[in-house]
Amino acid sequence: MAEVSLTTELLQYVANGIAKGSTYALMAVGYTLVYGVLQLINFAHAEVYMLGSYFAWFQAKWAGYLPDDKGARAETVPIGMVALFVAGAMAACALVGMLIERVAYRPLRGAGRLAPLITAIGVSLLLQYGGQVVFGTEPKLFPTFAETRVYDVGGVKFPNTNIYIVLTSVVLMLGLTLFVNKTRPGAAMRACSHDMRTARLMGVNVNATVSLTFAIGSALAAVAGVLVAMDQPAITPLMGVRIGLKAFVAAVVGGIGSIPGAALGGLLLGVSESVVSGLWKPVYSEAVAFVFLIVVLLVKPSGILGKSVREKV
Amino acid sequence: MRKALSLLALLALLAVASVALLGGCKDKGGDNAAATESGEIKIGVFLSLSGKNADFGKTTKNGIDLAVEEINASGGIGGKKIVLVSKDTRSKPEEAQTVAKALATADKVAVAIGSVESGQSIKAAPVFQEAGIPMVSPSSTNPDVTKQGDRIFRVCYLDDFQGQACAAFAFKDLGFKKAAIIFAQDDDYSKGLAEFFRSSFKALGGTIVEDVAFQGEVSEFKDQVSKIAAANPEVIFAPVYYGSIGLIARDFRKQGVKAPLLGGDGWESPQLIQLAGETLEGCYFGYHYDPDDKDEKVQGYLKAYKAKFNTEPNSLSALGYDAVYAIKKAIELGGGASSDQITEGLRKVVDFHGVTGTFSIDQNRNAKKPITMLKIGGTNLSKVKVIQPSDVK
Repeated sequence: MAEVSLTTELLQYVANGIAKGSTYALMAVGYTLVYGVLQLINFAHAEVYMLGSYFAWFQAKWAGYLPDDKGARAETVPIGMVALFVAGAMAACALVGMLIERVAYRPLRGAGRLAPLITAIGVSLLLQYGGQVVFGTEPKLFPTFAETRVYDVGGVKFPNTNIYIVLTSVVLMLGLTLFVNKTRPGAAMRACSHDMRTARLMGVNVNATVSLTFAIGSALAAVAGVLVAMDQPAITPLMGVRIGLKAFVAAVVGGIGSIPGAALGGLLLGVSESVVSGLWKPVYSEAVAFVFLIVVLLVKPSGILGKSVREKV
Repeated sequence: MRKALSLLALLALLAVASVALLGGCKDKGGDNAAATESGEIKIGVFLSLSGKNADFGKTTKNGIDLAVEEINASGGIGGKKIVLVSKDTRSKPEEAQTVAKALATADKVAVAIGSVESGQSIKAAPVFQEAGIPMVSPSSTNPDVTKQGDRIFRVCYLDDFQGQACAAFAFKDLGFKKAAIIFAQDDDYSKGLAEFFRSSFKALGGTIVEDVAFQGEVSEFKDQVSKIAAANPEVIFAPVYYGSIGLIARDFRKQGVKAPLLGGDGWESPQLIQLAGETLEGCYFGYHYDPDDKDEKVQGYLKAYKAKFNTEPNSLSALGYDAVYAIKKAIELGGGASSDQITEGLRKVVDFHGVTGTFSIDQNRNAKKPITMLKIGGTNLSKVKVIQPSDVK
């Protein structure tokens, strides 16, 4: 094997970063949507992501795609079943998201911003520790949704899982942008985000719109959960903590409330982490990436694509 | 006002719910905390029974339970039955310190066994040392563990020996001259092992072409792998625990790195092959004993374990098992079951014939014993070489 050139190496880090950043972006959209409509940071979002991969795991287990014997290896799940499991996980997470909103956030709507924030942290912790009780704490092997393949383009390696992550994220983000801007429920969401009271006076069903917002954000988190589990097939009840924090930061940096901002913030965070790893040391990647993001916020406090006017989504 | 009240009520409910859930986990860990009776020997156990390394604690506990059951069934030690008080450290070093305090002060155990992870043992050791209670770590391999005090013992080999043995194995037996290292920077075990491998591989004449770390609860290692891939090593030393190695190996294969991975005893788990898939094919790791050993002690233990738990035991169970029998030996040698007598007895353990080999406790309260290098092939592990403490240096 020839020595790898510096450019190839750098491109590899950018490719790594885009794959990581796409999952941050997909998660960041969930934070941004809810914030746009309710001005609430839904900390439980990271746990919905965790539940997404567990829901897919359970379906695969019930369908018999997980080895019983600890020594045996998992077989590859056919693509049709994968689609079914992903749809199932999305639906289940959408329900969980709506339930969380109904039980923990709706009763506190109009109670200021601090109270729902604390409840959000409470729900997040409840799901983390509840998950440990229900699912157990040991890492669970995620079924093989796709046989690993690696594409080599001029020395830069592209594993198929990373390609799926990026493509799925792009498609879902575009779809979401279209939905919010071109459909009636999307218009209702934008209306609620501008002014909830006026939207209600104009005949918008606010509660239904908020539920829909949570359902969409949670379904996207489920997809992120499955995509990441395909790439890193050991799932645990605490898997959402780290990515949740990063996605939240990505949403803020991109401009919370803005969907393209969430995408941009996620990619920026992922790529800067990887490039710092490449040029310096992986253990410094997060510290340096976060310093960079702080600088971005100092220059533009509302985030890169955020508007300083109070106008969201 | 009503809003504020209902908010308070909701918060209180959440608090109660989470306390109930957390308490629920804890209760499972705490066995009967009966007061000391003269006819009993109280052994405190602190292990990761939940959390990311739960497998470590559970398999070790099985070995301990088996040994205690055998000893109690044959009349105990000098007529005294062993009573276990076990606590869950939830895979956290700080929690190990907390439960150690409970074992030392509230439960007043005569001797403590724990933990697997060196980080936990290092945190708990000073608590027992101060309380005058001897502590036996079944499988913490970091050198600093027994340096915490003169009542801290262990029945496993040390990371300096483990690191030297892995380096010698890679350099001499496998013939590799260029090695890379990936380790967990915030973990005493991983960091220590990396350090000993690094210095001995260099001393043997090899080169470390890349040396990368990761930190915290990471599940993806793309960037670390890219760095190592660019340096093109012949072998990669990855002294991490089983929960990470499968994911690390997968990331290496995804970037086309085919060099074998080499690791220490932290890889060991029934879940290892499953979490790694076929990505660990042809890789090596150091182990505490040879499961195919014809020795009757080993075979008897394997048979009893399978009969009781209906699963294959691992080296952690064997070390837990040996820790209990070493304590039994110490009670016999020390002439009684008080904390001081057990401490005295443990210092005198020589040529103890355990499942994990025949070993003696040296003047630094460490066990001197061999390491067995295993190779992963398919879903099987096969012995490649046994390295004695006298083989390295």
